[in-house]
Amino acid sequence: MNTAQAGTLESMDCLVTVSQTAPGVGVKIKITGSSAVRFKSAMEKKTAEVIASMGVKDIDVSIQDNGALDIVLGARVEAAVKRMMGGDK
Amino acid sequence: MRRTMLYLPGNNPNMLTRGYLFGSDGLILDLEDAVAMSEKDTARILVQHFLKQGEFGDCEVTVRINGIDTEYWKDDLAAVVPFPALHGIRAPKVDDATTVKIIDEELSIIEDKNGIPVGQTKIFCLLETAKGIWNAYDIASASPRVAAIIPGGEDLTADLKTSRSYEGTELEWARRMMVFAARAAGVDPLDTVFPRVTDDAGLRKEMEFVKQLGFAGKSVIHPNQIPIIHDVFKPTELEITKALKIVEAAKDAARRGQGAVTVDGRMVDIPVVKRAEYTLIRAGLLEVK
Repeated sequence: MNTAQAGTLESMDCLVTVSQTAPGVGVKIKITGSSAVRFKSAMEKKTAEVIASMGVKDIDVSIQDNGALDIVLGARVEAAVKRMMGGDK
Repeated sequence: MRRTMLYLPGNNPNMLTRGYLFGSDGLILDLEDAVAMSEKDTARILVQHFLKQGEFGDCEVTVRINGIDTEYWKDDLAAVVPFPALHGIRAPKVDDATTVKIIDEELSIIEDKNGIPVGQTKIFCLLETAKGIWNAYDIASASPRVAAIIPGGEDLTADLKTSRSYEGTELEWARRMMVFAARAAGVDPLDTVFPRVTDDAGLRKEMEFVKQLGFAGKSVIHPNQIPIIHDVFKPTELEITKALKIVEAAKDAARRGQGAVTVDGRMVDIPVVKRAEYTLIRAGLLEVK
């Protein structure tokens, strides 16, 4: 299984871990951390949007949040997925 | 105005989010030295997202890319140039006019591909070697994109085989050279960073010196340095009063179809008016043209 990470646990950041899963499993998102309770649905939506825009259909995403804004979350998810796909240096 | 340009580490969401709130004239989102080799990709993506959706207030936004001797610089440019929030790029280790031309060509390709007017993205050149300083005028005049030249601090000192002293003796000639080369080429001379972030008195002393040399601003590595630098650039009441009088007299002369006039017994011609206008710009009383 191909796994990759991006981000940190610093303030206003998040650590995103992604793992490629078998075809047909779909997108699974797990969020923990400081904003997980209040903003979970918004964060899930943003994560799902980024993953869909990258054409990925089967993936496990785990987000450890430390107050990341939408913009940061999107960047970290994109970076983690790109690393998983091996498409970026 | 480019009195202060604040470096923000490109992989630090906290600073990228809050950077514009500290009141600097410009921001430098840093993809080079502030980013670990293992995080070049994530920083580039993060900076790109901020350029796409981030808030920068009235700051002039630049991105310091990695040097053209690395594998990263083209990817850096491709990631940041397409976004309107970007005003320019800060290029490290510019040694000669050829370096500027190489970056200029790559910028033109990206601008053309993205429907951006070719030539829009400015280049801020960091001259961090003895060779770079020696070629300062050629670099500053190598492309109309060049907006400023900036001497290096640590890298230049290392290249000179000396060390950074409290007085900055080793940088003195390079700083004078920067001002002459930049002014001759019609670009801004901007000073290197002041590394001792808790030494306010030292910063003020250095800033007064470089302002007197003719520098238009300074790179900043800590938000606390911004008000000190702005304060040094702030004209005195006397300077403002005199400048207002000169600009008013020049306007009056223009209305009457005259060239030079006399203010307080001194002839006022175009260079004097320009200097007076610059004083009023620094005082926030006149918009930059």
